[in-house]
Amino acid sequence: MRGTPVFIAGMGIVSPLGHGLAQTVAALENHATGISALTLFTPPADRRLPVGQVRRVPGPEDLPRTHRLARMAADEAMAGDSTAPDAVVIGTTTGGMQKTETLLRQNAARPGLLTHHGAGTVAEDLAARFGCTGPAMTVTTACSSGGAAIKLALEMIRSGRARRVLTGGADSLCRLTYYGFNALQLLDPAGARPLDESRRGMTLSEGAAMLLLSAEPGPAAAAAVCGGGLSCDAWHPAAPHPEGRGALAAMRAALEDAGIAPRQVDYVNLHGTGTPDNDLAEARALRALFGSRLPPLSSIKGATGHALAAAGAIEAVVAALCVQHGLVPGNPGFKRRDPRLKLTPLTHPRRRAVGCVLSNSFGFGGNNAALVVSGPDAAPAKSAPAHRRLYVVGSACLTAAGDAGRTLQALAAGRDCAGPAGLEAALEAVPARSRRRLGRFSALALALALAAREDAGESGPPAGIFLGTAWGALSETGRFLDELFESDEKFASPTAFVGSVHNAAAGQTALLMDARGPNVTTSGGDSSFEQALLAAACLAPGKKGSFLVAGADEHHGTLSPLFDPSVALGKNAADGGGALYLSAAARPGAPAVAPVFSGSGNPPVISALIRALGGPERVRNRCGLLMVGIPAAWRDTGRRQLQEFLDGTALRAPVVDYRRWTGEFGSASAVAAALAVRFCRQGTVPATLCGGTAAELGGRAILLLGLGTTVTALEIGGP
Amino acid sequence: MSVETLIEELKVKIIEVLDLPDITPADMDRDARLIGGPAGIDSIDVLEMVMMIEKEYGIRIDNQELGREVFATLGTLAEYIHQNQPERTR
Repeated sequence: MRGTPVFIAGMGIVSPLGHGLAQTVAALENHATGISALTLFTPPADRRLPVGQVRRVPGPEDLPRTHRLARMAADEAMAGDSTAPDAVVIGTTTGGMQKTETLLRQNAARPGLLTHHGAGTVAEDLAARFGCTGPAMTVTTACSSGGAAIKLALEMIRSGRARRVLTGGADSLCRLTYYGFNALQLLDPAGARPLDESRRGMTLSEGAAMLLLSAEPGPAAAAAVCGGGLSCDAWHPAAPHPEGRGALAAMRAALEDAGIAPRQVDYVNLHGTGTPDNDLAEARALRALFGSRLPPLSSIKGATGHALAAAGAIEAVVAALCVQHGLVPGNPGFKRRDPRLKLTPLTHPRRRAVGCVLSNSFGFGGNNAALVVSGPDAAPAKSAPAHRRLYVVGSACLTAAGDAGRTLQALAAGRDCAGPAGLEAALEAVPARSRRRLGRFSALALALALAAREDAGESGPPAGIFLGTAWGALSETGRFLDELFESDEKFASPTAFVGSVHNAAAGQTALLMDARGPNVTTSGGDSSFEQALLAAACLAPGKKGSFLVAGADEHHGTLSPLFDPSVALGKNAADGGGALYLSAAARPGAPAVAPVFSGSGNPPVISALIRALGGPERVRNRCGLLMVGIPAAWRDTGRRQLQEFLDGTALRAPVVDYRRWTGEFGSASAVAAALAVRFCRQGTVPATLCGGTAAELGGRAILLLGLGTTVTALEIGGP
Repeated sequence: MSVETLIEELKVKIIEVLDLPDITPADMDRDARLIGGPAGIDSIDVLEMVMMIEKEYGIRIDNQELGREVFATLGTLAEYIHQNQPERTR
């Protein structure tokens, strides 16, 4: 079904090709390359490979490089626009890793120095910079992050949740990705030569690109984003499906979403990394989609390198520039046709009218995104999808007490369930060989997914997977960096690298459940789970089938207290998570769940929250229980916010301060959500949680508030 | 070190580094296919073994074509290490 186009009201870009749109266009026209020697850090002599490093990255020295790159691109996209965007949606994988790993290497990492480590802090930084008080969302699906973030922004506008969204992607070079991809033998020592017969891999690079998307065409609109498609290979953690199954599904979904037939595509901007496997799988998918009538196509990664999470955004901006300037870029690095690919890219840039561009981004975890970009005269479609309610058909959680049943028993008996989550029982059904390479975070996600599906009484693959995590795969990240630094940057574990990406867990879960629909990992500190639910509400497939929304975090002895200030203050190490199995169609006995609010900016944030909930009277009438998450690091702020909310609504419902029971970890709210679903089903809340008297819900809803720097609200159950 | 001794040593190291849950050295045959064979070893495991072999034996196998030949079986791997090992450790 065709969706409405949204308009590109502003764009910004920084890549190895240059700073800004003008330098980028000039470089593309001149077939210039940005590949050069690495100077950001110094690898051992026998491990030096060409990279795409951005020259001159201004900004505060203590701000990580990814954030500075993001600011450069965002400043250009927002230039001359003084109105704050309604939301910010950013794709990034490394976040503050370049600074973090440097401090870890120098043994100088201390809590308080790594405030910008989290992937979510890039979006938060931009939101603060441009005065955005709405959702600041982060998509972290490896090399498809930028494309997936833009698709999410598109759907936020289409669904009426926002009118203007600043969206894009950013990633800086860092040791983790440089040595990680090198350990996978995916870097070409001679520089990337996409589609060339002798290609041996990619060139790692960095950069950022941002789009200000708007529901209104406006006078300055350069182009429009007409559609996007997401898919998952469900095939391998790091290699593409050999026939390009997922790539084909994402391209098809994007064209369908844009209401465009393959023959209407004027140019395909390839993912085209230059690795033997990617280019072959992508070529096969293209042939399956276009048959023998292939449109002009090229990969610019021989010139820009592969900027990972930024790549999809850089190429979306390039696609818009193609439309705007009537330009089709060449394919730097290509010399000889590869007979196995059965296609020849445009070897040199050409001037010609371009109406419609298909742009591909594929990543680890089999996470794929494709976007359709066309001219600003694209006619808005009439259909406006309504706000979607989601219904919980199954739920699960894992805490120190065990699964949801055991957790409820512990709470009813007045025992807390804060501690390392019990995993073993939950994974009994998974063969040892399938679990062999799963780190703790991936194991938690898989266990939650299986338990939620079982609770839903289903056995088939979920139609989509949405996973929120504050810190991702800390075991693998820690192991990778430890081995790297212990060997003086000589040895890097490919297994640990593949497992370290934030989306490894959702990718592994999809693989083991054969889930080939959208696969999205979100990250945003203590509201990561809430972001996953909001992403699902925007992106979930239609009313057929059910899908998974989960939140999980693992505790890591060294890294958790360094990254998470609430963990540093917490009494005991705790981890775990929760999962909801959801359907967009109402089912008997299935409580509704809705992400009602996500915002920041004290002091008016609480009054904005009350407005979003429909005003004080509606809150009093609907809400039978308030479950609040106040992270230890924001206790004072959170208590003040809670009091303001209670004063502002005159709500008299019982209040459960759930982190006192779950312990401190980023996705504790996912546990609370799963428990809220169980309370709705049984109609009562144990006395131990409500100050001595069991609460009767009487059909009213449970409001799940996340307080602190970001304020979120989920409504679960109710009339 | 003889090739036979090397094979026995490699079995133990591979099981350890790949964390193979249900395999013992006795289950591993010198001429059986190593990748995609009975032990469930895949392409990422090969690269993990590449790192282990550089660490333990000082030998780099840094491209995929060579890797495919060398990691065909335990036997080919041991032969390759035997032939390429620096003098001092042979």
